[in-house]
Amino acid sequence: MQTNRRTLLKGMAGMTAILATNPIIALAQEGAGGVLRVAAAKPAGDLNPHAFKGLWAVQDLIFEPLLRYEHGGRFSPALATEWQVEDGGRLLRFKLRQNVKFHDGAPWNAEAMIWNLDRWIGKDSTAWMNASRLFAGHKVIDDYTVEITFKEPVLGLLNEFSYVRPSRFLSPKSVDAAGNYQKPIGTGAWMEEQATNDGSEFERFDDYWGDKPGYKHLELMVLPDSRGRMAAIRAGDIDLTGGEFLAPIKATEAVTLQAAGVPVVVEQGTSTIVAGLNPDRNPALKDLKVRQAINIGFDRNAISQVLYKGLAQPAANIFPETVHLSGKRFPVPARDPEAARKLLDEAGWVGDGVREKDGQTLSIEIVVSEEQIAGSRSLAEVMQAQLGEIGIDVKIRSVDHASRHSDIPARHFDIALFTTFGAPYEPFGTIIGLLLSTYDNGVDGKLVIDPEHLDPLVNAAASASEDTVEQATQAIHDYLHDQVSCLPLFYVPSIWAHTNRVSGFKAPSTEYDLPYKGLALNF
Amino acid sequence: MRILQDFARSLRQLPRVSMVAVGVFVTLGVLAPYIAPHDPNAQDLLAAHAGISWEHWLGADHLGRDTLSRLIVSARTSLVGMCLVLLIALSVGITIGTIAGYKRGWVEEVLMRIVDVGLAMPSLIVALAVIGIFGTGYWNMIFALALAWWPGSARISRAVAVGVMNRPHIETLRVLGASPLRVYFHHLLPTTIGAVLVYATADAGAVALSIATLSFLGLGIQPPTPEWGQMLVDALPYLETVPMQVILPGLVLTAVVIGFNLLGESIALNRVPTPLSRRILASRRMLASNWTRAQQ
Repeated sequence: MQTNRRTLLKGMAGMTAILATNPIIALAQEGAGGVLRVAAAKPAGDLNPHAFKGLWAVQDLIFEPLLRYEHGGRFSPALATEWQVEDGGRLLRFKLRQNVKFHDGAPWNAEAMIWNLDRWIGKDSTAWMNASRLFAGHKVIDDYTVEITFKEPVLGLLNEFSYVRPSRFLSPKSVDAAGNYQKPIGTGAWMEEQATNDGSEFERFDDYWGDKPGYKHLELMVLPDSRGRMAAIRAGDIDLTGGEFLAPIKATEAVTLQAAGVPVVVEQGTSTIVAGLNPDRNPALKDLKVRQAINIGFDRNAISQVLYKGLAQPAANIFPETVHLSGKRFPVPARDPEAARKLLDEAGWVGDGVREKDGQTLSIEIVVSEEQIAGSRSLAEVMQAQLGEIGIDVKIRSVDHASRHSDIPARHFDIALFTTFGAPYEPFGTIIGLLLSTYDNGVDGKLVIDPEHLDPLVNAAASASEDTVEQATQAIHDYLHDQVSCLPLFYVPSIWAHTNRVSGFKAPSTEYDLPYKGLALNF
Repeated sequence: MRILQDFARSLRQLPRVSMVAVGVFVTLGVLAPYIAPHDPNAQDLLAAHAGISWEHWLGADHLGRDTLSRLIVSARTSLVGMCLVLLIALSVGITIGTIAGYKRGWVEEVLMRIVDVGLAMPSLIVALAVIGIFGTGYWNMIFALALAWWPGSARISRAVAVGVMNRPHIETLRVLGASPLRVYFHHLLPTTIGAVLVYATADAGAVALSIATLSFLGLGIQPPTPEWGQMLVDALPYLETVPMQVILPGLVLTAVVIGFNLLGESIALNRVPTPLSRRILASRRMLASNWTRAQQ
């Protein structure tokens, strides 16, 4: 056979192609070995479960609670197999799971539990948790039984022991001699191998007590830009993205992904976008009729369809039905400009164009932060245009996240958008945190401040017994609804997207968890 | 008439592309309310992302607002914003630059070191810091950008002023007893303003871009005032489904920035003396020799 230059070049090209394909084949084989690649909008950060800095979902991979919050507000056993609430809610007894080890081999037992509890319970820094504020003492009954006592019955007691932080458990060996946190070592299904600002790598904990994931590695890839995440999942560079706090997917992005054939899971979430009103800054809002006019002055259904592509359902309650004690359902206010104008006339705000009363114009400022609620500026623009039609001049002020954190607690707004905390903090996380005026909730600010009427209702619900708590919380819902103290806008959907490589995906029960359980990698 | 002819001649020397871009921008900015086919803020949620039609020549945005009308009215927003920023920045810059150039000595040293500090910081960072402190809003944005822009014009003003002050006629004026105020206001300031305005032309595009950038970040022009940067950020989530809504404001902004940059560049080049051609050189030599002969 004669070898000419063309044959030689063809042969070289073939060899090059084979050599170039080898790493790809190797990578594919490694992929088949099992790496779940999950997108995150920011690095995992400080994962100390007793600090409040890291990404919740990543802490959930490593650290486990005594009991887990499940869909519908149920609890399932985790590091505790049984629990009893006694003495009218003043005593909580845990029976701990046996044969559980931390990643460093340290045993999980009553001693480890007490060591962890002592790092946060009863301290000022965690006084926002009822269990910590009302903590009286703890007692080790045996190696696997612990009792915790409280000064008063604790509201949302079991919920608090399912939180991602600070209620999860760190290995007692993972601290230095002074007791300072060193490494994220828990009992969870995943052990951290390494972490940088670009991402984190985790290895399956083969001595895990529960159902072990079917794949050996989990990689968290930091992709700050949501368009970058969308491109990555379509290209197959990541397997899973989503979650309100991990890597949020906007409704428009979800629709685009669906159109591109990417499996998207949309479920009713547990939080709500609510517009808070500040009558102390804008006296016009003290008038119930003005609040009612605003409530029916804009079209929630149209906004839901246009801005949220129908994925966020219009709201009339501050909690979706997925939240325990969310109350009876109120009808979603339909837009009725004529009725709204009539209400404003009755309230004394009259005139063509922007309405006036006693020489004052009916002008309202809405403060929005795109970083806090994506799409909130467009939402405010629709409210601005539609409320403008009934004679209310709406000014929009866009602020960054830091300004939002200073302006909202300082009450520098007429209307501001809030998001309720969602499970497992509900319903009392929001009821106490956002509605009780005497409770300091830091940068989140208050949705409603009404010490005269609302505070007594909140306090009554907080001290209600099991038998009366539903009635007591309903009184709060009724008051908020009747007085239009705030404007529930939309229920936030839980949106996740995964590639076809992933099967068995189920949306998590809270947006603070990472839904790796039950997942299988197909290739 | 001669002034008009001179103006027309100088226009002919400028690149046509930049003249068209800047001319269209200024015309749209001035006439925006009269030529926009729709109210730029009128929403029709049912027509959200409507395509090109007789009703909406360039389609509608995510809230059903007419894109063409918003592009046209945005030109006015940018034009007014740009003029205000340059007016404030140049006023401050020229004042400080000319004082430094006139007084020299320690006054110049102090003022120029302040200018150096201003120039050392990127303009957008300065603007973001100012907005971070004083909050968002139209006037805060204008003052933030003006604060970021004045050091550049101060530096140029000082250089021009020093050149002017070294000219023989200024020295003659002083010898003849002209007051400092007369020298400053009648001779130094007008000459410096003329020169600095030329450089400001090139800055105009950058200012328009900064206004769009701040609005893109949600820190500049607030809704419902239409603005190109805001149109861009509103359309970005729909980049795949309705790309035209992203491309259009981007394209217009690019055309305006390139237009101003080319214009500024060509004006600056027109001011550089071009070497004399052989023919003109020969004729001037001839003139000079005749004049010398006549003197003899």
